[in-house]
Amino acid sequence: MAVRTFAAIDVGSYELAMKIFEISKRNGIREIDLIRRGIELGTDTYNTGKIRNERVDELCGVLKEFAEIMDSYGVDAYKAYGTSAIRETENTIIILDQIRNRTGIQIEVLNNSEQRFLDYKSIASKGEGFLQIIEKGTIIIDIGGGSIQLSLFDKDTLIATQNIRLGVLRMRERLQKLAARTNHYEELIGDMVSAQLQMFKKMYLREREIKNIIIVDDYVSNIIQRKDIFKEATGYLTTEEFMRFVEGIKRKGTNEIAQKFGLSEENASLMFHSVFLIKSIVEVLEAELLWAPGVSLCDGIAYEYAENNRLITPEHDFEKDILACALNISKRYMVSKKRSETIEYISLVIFDSMKKIHGLGKRERLLLQLAAQLNDCGRYISLVNVGESSYNIIKATEIMGLSHQEQEMVANIVKFNRMEFSYYQDLTRENTLDKKNYLTIAKLTAILRVATGMDRSHKQKFKDVQARLHERELILSTDTLEDITLEKGLLTAKTRFFEEVFSVKVSIRQKRRL
Amino acid sequence: MAEKKQAEKPDFKNPEYYANRELSWLQFNSRVLSEARDKTIPLFERIKFLSITASNLDEFFMVRVASLKDMVNAGYQKKDIAGMTPEEQLKKLNKETHQLVSQQYSTYNRSLLPLLRQKGLTLIERHEDLSREQAKYIDRYFEDNVYPVLTPMAVDSSRPFPLIRNKSLNIGALLKKKGLTDKKEKGGKKDGEGEVEFATVQVPSVLSRIVTIPSNEGETTVILLEEIIERNMNKLFLNYDIICAHPFRIMRNADLSIEEDEAEDLLKEIEKQLKKRQWGEAIRLEVEDGIDKGLLNIIKSELKIAQEDIYAIRGPLDLTFCMKLYGIEGFDDLKVKAYTPQPVKELPAECDIFEEIRKGDILLHHPYQSFQPVVDFIKQAARDPKVLAIKQTLYRVSGNSPIIAALAQAAENGKQVSVLVELKARFDEENNIVWAKMLEKAGCHVIYGLVGLKTHSKITLVVRREDDGIRRYVHLGTGNYNDATAKLYTDLGLFTCSEPMGEDATAVFNMLSGYSEPLNWNKLSLAPLWLKDKFLFLINREREHAKEGRPAKIIAKMNSLCDKDIISALYKANAAGVEIHLIIRGICCLRTGIPGISDRITVRSIVGNFLEHSRIFYFENNGSDELYLGSADWMPRNLERRVEILFPVEKEALKEKVLHILECQLSDTVKAHVLKPDGSYDKVDKRGKAHYNSQEAFCEEAVLDGKSQGKSQMERVFIPEIHHE
Repeated sequence: MAVRTFAAIDVGSYELAMKIFEISKRNGIREIDLIRRGIELGTDTYNTGKIRNERVDELCGVLKEFAEIMDSYGVDAYKAYGTSAIRETENTIIILDQIRNRTGIQIEVLNNSEQRFLDYKSIASKGEGFLQIIEKGTIIIDIGGGSIQLSLFDKDTLIATQNIRLGVLRMRERLQKLAARTNHYEELIGDMVSAQLQMFKKMYLREREIKNIIIVDDYVSNIIQRKDIFKEATGYLTTEEFMRFVEGIKRKGTNEIAQKFGLSEENASLMFHSVFLIKSIVEVLEAELLWAPGVSLCDGIAYEYAENNRLITPEHDFEKDILACALNISKRYMVSKKRSETIEYISLVIFDSMKKIHGLGKRERLLLQLAAQLNDCGRYISLVNVGESSYNIIKATEIMGLSHQEQEMVANIVKFNRMEFSYYQDLTRENTLDKKNYLTIAKLTAILRVATGMDRSHKQKFKDVQARLHERELILSTDTLEDITLEKGLLTAKTRFFEEVFSVKVSIRQKRRL
Repeated sequence: MAEKKQAEKPDFKNPEYYANRELSWLQFNSRVLSEARDKTIPLFERIKFLSITASNLDEFFMVRVASLKDMVNAGYQKKDIAGMTPEEQLKKLNKETHQLVSQQYSTYNRSLLPLLRQKGLTLIERHEDLSREQAKYIDRYFEDNVYPVLTPMAVDSSRPFPLIRNKSLNIGALLKKKGLTDKKEKGGKKDGEGEVEFATVQVPSVLSRIVTIPSNEGETTVILLEEIIERNMNKLFLNYDIICAHPFRIMRNADLSIEEDEAEDLLKEIEKQLKKRQWGEAIRLEVEDGIDKGLLNIIKSELKIAQEDIYAIRGPLDLTFCMKLYGIEGFDDLKVKAYTPQPVKELPAECDIFEEIRKGDILLHHPYQSFQPVVDFIKQAARDPKVLAIKQTLYRVSGNSPIIAALAQAAENGKQVSVLVELKARFDEENNIVWAKMLEKAGCHVIYGLVGLKTHSKITLVVRREDDGIRRYVHLGTGNYNDATAKLYTDLGLFTCSEPMGEDATAVFNMLSGYSEPLNWNKLSLAPLWLKDKFLFLINREREHAKEGRPAKIIAKMNSLCDKDIISALYKANAAGVEIHLIIRGICCLRTGIPGISDRITVRSIVGNFLEHSRIFYFENNGSDELYLGSADWMPRNLERRVEILFPVEKEALKEKVLHILECQLSDTVKAHVLKPDGSYDKVDKRGKAHYNSQEAFCEEAVLDGKSQGKSQMERVFIPEIHHE
């Protein structure tokens, strides 16, 4: 059918939401229905580490109804994602299994950067508005129940992203524990935010100017988009307009806010916290314009589905963002740009020439690229255990746009580039990677090893390398006039694994220029 | 100028500017009674109106008067909108009700009965007046039909005073053992010789209250059942002499739980305050005028009823039997011929309704136009393979509702059918449970209302998967999905498949299913959360326009107006110069003609053949006028404790149609009663004005519009105000 009906389910910290979409090449993505039900999974997870049985029952009840609603729309496909409340609970696997058995709905767990990436995609799905606003220094503030995510744009590319554990639900719990009076909230939230933001500012901003803030959340965005509150209700607000709004609700109690905006008290309370959170961030960053595009994770899920099924053509290059992030990380850990560029170049040359043999695609090429870029980041910590250190850095750093599996893969490739390869069957520790992914790691590691081997001297002698596959031999040729004895001599050690993985020999030829 | 100065700082909430809602309701019932007194109306229709005033009054007592009594008993002193304490209200009501009742009976005795006799229908008022032949017939009838179902009950030391059922008609009697000397004892229950006993028997409700008896050729003679029983009382108490026997009837305080109204929260509070509440306390006693004093004293003391709550009736108790008189065959020329609702031009029979709706929004005006398209809408949806889901709110439905059948059919055809059934629809609870269960059996998803809120909105959503994607068809109305009352109530309905309305409709049902409210509404405004603010916004916007000298006008039509915030907003708008015309059938707590406060406001009430039921709201808005329809009156219960929907009419042609309806009603010179500054209602002063009956005009227009054959006339029906909302 030309029109596909798709359901996106977001199992969030304080709310279960499902959006029904119609997606077609001709009309793009059209939202048909939004069903939400408040259910505080987060409170359980953040307080006790587990989700109580009663809550699981409640959750299953709602999901069952969601399944019925999906039926009523004749949904062709769905995707259900759980975020921090599910992710951080100790009994995730058990709960997910229960849910699947009881409701038939398969929930996948998103790690933070995956989740934020989907949010980010949903903003990007707004097209024009997004492309325009990110031309100037822009930060996306993505407010969740457990944490908030700050993502920084330079020109039109996302260059850094940082998670801060200051989600509204978590923050409210904390403030309640402090038993602070409501009129102190503003100050307390301000303190919490600026303490965390100063670090972010130092690391990423320095001389950068932030003009725009994009807000993604469940409460303030709606208010900003409401015509009865803001005349134009375009979703855009100047800082002054926003501050005026803050002044207006500052001294009000939750029930008063609830009444004024027609919200439930629970939502009013969360909105109240979000408002002060945003206010503090706006003040620290001194931004001029706020934009609330009014999107949610569900929009991102739909966007991803549409993208994967080639129903839409993305206007924004998300891979460029991922690479920019990686570049920023390697900068932070003082990786030699020249060297990483060379290794990246060689790796890709090999990858491209070996296509027939490795059978990998565009996405794996990107992973290789990232691995090449981040290959040396561990040197920042230790010159001896570069592999292990790099692995840890990569694992601990957020790279928006990578799934946690992909991130794990990149980290492993970098590690095995220097350390002995552990075969899949030898793995004893908990392993989240499946065999297929592990094979990809092996293949990419093999390529990266050859590439780094060719820059043994760190002098970029092979920056113009060419590769040619001839039967079962990969011939790498270079025009360099430099002495490549070191590389040639030590290459055997580096190609052994390559030969094992691909059954292809590697030889180096230095073209003689006359 | 002087007026302007005055308008600067008046207290718009001053109780003097408001009328008490109960008294206003009594005025409404008087207006209905005035139809019974209107000589230009066919005789049998007048009888029907009389019957309606009686059933109206019964319910008014059970619900409203009962609440006031509770408040008084609890010592509750809070004043109402007009500054009256519950006690003051009761006192005034009592006086007014006695007056109304005496007017009812003078209408009955002096005009209607003699006229009926003239026309060949005789009602024998006293069994003593029966001819011998008739008496014989009666006695036979008693033995064959009545005696077997009677349960006579005597009271003595071993048998306590029986429970007299609410609203039931009874005959009370004083008895004396046969052969003993006649020594009537006060209280009637003392032991010893000459003991006088009290006995009572309920006039069975399973038998027709009216019994036709033999009479002369070409005439009809009837007698009331209680007279038949009275005549045969001695057969019930064989060893006794009947000293006297008189009918009586009591009204009890209806169960609190169904008294859901303004006083709802209040009542909870009162429940706590009342230490011990007598179950179903008697709040009104009707007795035959001239009842034996001893008998009355016994009833009075057993029921613990105050003197002022006793109504001595000059005629038969419980005039609702008049509806049965109306049903007697053979007097068609004294009734108005039934009007046939006309087909809707845009939706011819057998058409594909969905296709027609896609061509543009369609407005229906019932009962002038047929309700059938709405039934067909559901029926077609039930069969249509493209339809995925049907969702509907049901408040009151007819006994054998084709809509319910269609919904069940749809579920059986595999459609997702969700129905919100409002179980709390007053006096219909039992009925609703029955068919709600039937729907569930058929596979529908049934939601039984929302906790603490009545779902009064009328909305249907049909989700259809078409070639270019999902399309939603919505029907919104001002009246219930009840094909029977749609022939009697004036209501408006709108079919649309506009995307924003469809989104809103989906959101409404999500909300009713217990999901979170939507982030935004496109077009609809819902009570209890947003609607009142919306109305206040619309009224205040007119005020702003008027202040700036821009065109500003409000025309609103509804059943009742008693929300203080809305009224004071109207007063403020009036003070700013807004012209306001209100068409309010029933209660109106707003007062007109107060200088600087309400001197630009007119209020009229149309009481006609059909029950005015549509709610229409027009705002001139500086030339870009807005028109809304909805399910809500301007009453606190509608705006604050119910789920109600207000929806805009946006298509120009349809707006004109609706505005035309308002204008016609404002020009009505026949059925309109105008509220005067002194608080009374008067018929329109017809001098110099054409005879114009808006309901008749709508009928004619509908006939022309529907291009149907045959001359149609109206059926005269009136439905109690409290019972049906």
